[in-house]
Amino acid sequence: MLEVNRVCSGYGGGVVLDGFSLALKAGEAVALVGRNGVGKTTLMKTIMGLIRPSSGSIALAGKRIDGRAPFEIARAGVGYAPQGREIFAALSVEDNLLLGDLAARTADEAYRLFPALAARRNTPAGRLSGGQQQQLAIARALMARPRLLLLDEPSEGVQPTVVAEIVAALGQIVAQRGLALLLVEQNIEMALALVSRFVLVDQGRAVATHAASAVAADPSLLMGALAL
Amino acid sequence: MRHAAVLLLDSSNAVLVLILVSLGLAIIFGLMNVINMAHGEFLMLGAYGAMQLGRIGVPFWLALALAPMLVGAFGLVIEELLIAKTYNRLIDSILATWGLSLFLRQAIVLVFGPGSYAVAAPDVGAVQIFGGPYPVYRLLVMALSLAAIGFTFAVFFRTRFGLAARAVVANRDMAACLGVNTRRLDRITFAFGAGLAGLAGAAMAPLISVDPSAGLGYLVPAFLSILVGGLGSISGPVVGGAGVGALDSLTSAFYSPVWAQLAVFVAVLFVIRVFPSGLVATLRREA
Repeated sequence: MLEVNRVCSGYGGGVVLDGFSLALKAGEAVALVGRNGVGKTTLMKTIMGLIRPSSGSIALAGKRIDGRAPFEIARAGVGYAPQGREIFAALSVEDNLLLGDLAARTADEAYRLFPALAARRNTPAGRLSGGQQQQLAIARALMARPRLLLLDEPSEGVQPTVVAEIVAALGQIVAQRGLALLLVEQNIEMALALVSRFVLVDQGRAVATHAASAVAADPSLLMGALAL
Repeated sequence: MRHAAVLLLDSSNAVLVLILVSLGLAIIFGLMNVINMAHGEFLMLGAYGAMQLGRIGVPFWLALALAPMLVGAFGLVIEELLIAKTYNRLIDSILATWGLSLFLRQAIVLVFGPGSYAVAAPDVGAVQIFGGPYPVYRLLVMALSLAAIGFTFAVFFRTRFGLAARAVVANRDMAACLGVNTRRLDRITFAFGAGLAGLAGAAMAPLISVDPSAGLGYLVPAFLSILVGGLGSISGPVVGGAGVGALDSLTSAFYSPVWAQLAVFVAVLFVIRVFPSGLVATLRREA
């Protein structure tokens, strides 16, 4: 589904991703772990087209998407819930959801997935709690029925009970739709509940891969990537 | 009493036209981050368009409908050829549109000469206001301006297109990541903003001197309106335009246009000092 091939990219001429390679099959869920600054968010932005890679290629279901505009990549089937949510604070919950798919007649599917949003459909999104905003960001990304979902730090600033709700909803939808999932997450427990594979990132490269079952049995496998 | 009524009507006319022009400018800036220094020239082109269409025999009301569309189409071409090339470069967009402004003014001089033209107002008569006549045409211009402003708000707040536009104003990158075609939106926005200015020019053509510098007198007040009202919302230019326009025309009538300029600039300086984000943004935050 997703093939990232030796991608180099960064901000303003600096190099953050330094030959990053990654492959995701359709329906596969992978977590990226690593210290701050190693390039996880940069990778997400590069896949989404917000940053143009200086070399390497990115393909979605066999078609090249590097160098295309973000809206084209979104329409090709990539959903994105960025770090910090980036919901439209002045717009209502319903408007935020409809923006995920402007051709949609209703947002009912999103409300089924996250009932907390249904109760607040006319509330300006800026008034929601952190957890509700995260649910909104994810539901919005799912509106257009993407084939690949990029989730950047979804548990950040969200209380544990809501994290559990999000995990349950995501698990359900990923299984239902056969959605491929690329997750950046510091919360290892949350990641374990969702993914089948962990990729360790260091200095702009993917340096190791571990199956989720191996990490569950021995979490110290990730220590190398997370230690200072 | 009559004097006051006429003054109020004339001021309302000036305010509504200023709002129309400011709205186009604000929409272009809000959505595309482009400061369109040629916006006054779109108004001027609308006036010349109405004039020229009249000269070749097109009935006035048809010319009034056609001229803004022609200016809008011209805006589309300019967006593709010039504005799109300055994407994300604010200083360059200022330079490019200022150059466009100079170019358009000189092009008009080459085609029509440097002098001014008069466009005959259609003969729709006059109404009696407190014992004296007031031209119906002026009332129609006000109605037209109100309708255009209302239409713009309806598009922004009641259509999916408007929703996408508001999202792009709030967070362009995120809107793009959701699949909003920002290229197409840029084109439509610029053409629409140009068309609004062209409408103002075409409607005002019988009431002003149609000459190459006709647009200059609107550009600065329009910018001031946006600064006062606040960027990032389309209610901003309405509030700002009302304030700047009212102050300008009333001071002009009671004292002189020179005092009016002074009063407007002092007032704007004061407002921006106290409300740096503009009036609308500040009111919203306090709500």
